[in-house]
Amino acid sequence: MIQIQDLQFRISGKSILEDINLEIPDGVFAAIIGPNGAGKSTLIKLIMGLLDIQEGKITIDNIPQHEWLKHSGFGYLPQREEFDRAFPATALDIVLMGIAGSIPRGRRCTAEHRQKALSAMQDCGIFEKANNRIGSLSGGEFQRVMLARAILSDSKYLILDEPEAGIDRVGVSSFFELLKMLNDKGKTIITISHDLHTLSDYCSFLICLNRRLHCHNHAELVNSDVIHRTFGEAIRLIEKDY
Amino acid sequence: MPLFLITALLGAILSGISLAIFAPYVTLRRISYLGEALSHIAFAGIAIAIISGMNLTLGALIFVSAVAMGISWLSEHHKIQEANTITIFLSLSMALGIILISLSRNYSFDLSSYLFGNVLLISLSELWILGGLNVLNIAFVIFFYKELFYLSYNPEMAKVFRIRTQGVDKMFYILLAANIVFNLKSAGIILVTAQLILPAVIAFNLVQKLHIAIITAVITAIICAIAGFAASFALNLPTGATIVVCQALLYALSFLFKRRFD
Repeated sequence: MIQIQDLQFRISGKSILEDINLEIPDGVFAAIIGPNGAGKSTLIKLIMGLLDIQEGKITIDNIPQHEWLKHSGFGYLPQREEFDRAFPATALDIVLMGIAGSIPRGRRCTAEHRQKALSAMQDCGIFEKANNRIGSLSGGEFQRVMLARAILSDSKYLILDEPEAGIDRVGVSSFFELLKMLNDKGKTIITISHDLHTLSDYCSFLICLNRRLHCHNHAELVNSDVIHRTFGEAIRLIEKDY
Repeated sequence: MPLFLITALLGAILSGISLAIFAPYVTLRRISYLGEALSHIAFAGIAIAIISGMNLTLGALIFVSAVAMGISWLSEHHKIQEANTITIFLSLSMALGIILISLSRNYSFDLSSYLFGNVLLISLSELWILGGLNVLNIAFVIFFYKELFYLSYNPEMAKVFRIRTQGVDKMFYILLAANIVFNLKSAGIILVTAQLILPAVIAFNLVQKLHIAIITAVITAIICAIAGFAASFALNLPTGATIVVCQALLYALSFLFKRRFD
């Protein structure tokens, strides 16, 4: 369980997050929604320890976050990953990154590690690209490589920042099906997303954020008023069938 | 061949190897400007050593290592753009070096040999140091291959996936500083960066795997050291500069190879 108490975050004096109090139970499929600039990516970076906490407290599994991070980690799929397209790595090398932290210094990845990585790639439908250079992969393919890496990390928490970016409509559905399968196996999924339609089919816990927290409850309890308050008056909710 | 020429040739080869081992990482991490800066920052270290009567190499090593760690710490903790930080340190160190050397009035100090390098000045003991440094370099890149690979790929993601890169990163900077300082005499402040970049860009034009690129960069450095040494001896040219020209020619050939087969 992830507990956040009185979290505030500022950048150059500008408030990015205010009074965040939140509890994400284990085993949920949680979605963080909110307009651009709402502080969604900042919140997950604070949870993962990629940004230093300025005010407030985060505990994970009832342990202070900085202590928890000493022996555990997150599976993470970033919105974008900065890398040189000419970097001499294959898709398999990048997936193996997910397990590299558990291999002692001075040791290399073994055949068993490779097998696990290939199995994660199989689950993510990217197995046949294992030996392709990362620079040759499409956006969607690289997204799946990053998901395979996140799965391989074997953390109970899987955090995703707009995973649907760069994937076509059909791809998004199969991607969320895969996440749902992982959720059913016990992983806690926390995803930032703008795709409210897809989220409504999959997520069980909705976190509405626009600098402040507007609600954090099971998805079915969140109504259109809350969505309006989160996104502002500019949004119009449209029921769509795909 | 006279002993001093053998010493000089071995010095040129060992110097080339030590810079080439780090070259692929410097290129992949896009910190070639750091190599350039550290070599210039060494100038202030040399000046401080002259003023304090210290061994010049030791003075430069302590100063450059301290500055490299300072740059690493500042960039990590104060959200300062690394390129800006380095430019500030580079300019300040050069200014300090010029002032201190002018104050020292040490007219026996041969500034040009440090600026442009002179492989003939390498002593037998320095040859041993370069050999030892290369053993350390090889052990470092073999032992920490995985950590260096992911650190070069994306340091933030390496942190997310709990790859223990922090200590490795600091060791990398210290060893890079040591390699630059111990090669100043042979390669020179101005030309040392060329030998820190060219072998890697040649290698990456020819091969696609990091460990093979490191080996290719080292072989390239050895070939160019021997060819450059021979050409400079035959044509009475400065050795360091001739080695760099050989590497540049090889780079042009590797570029054509890449275009042909891409």
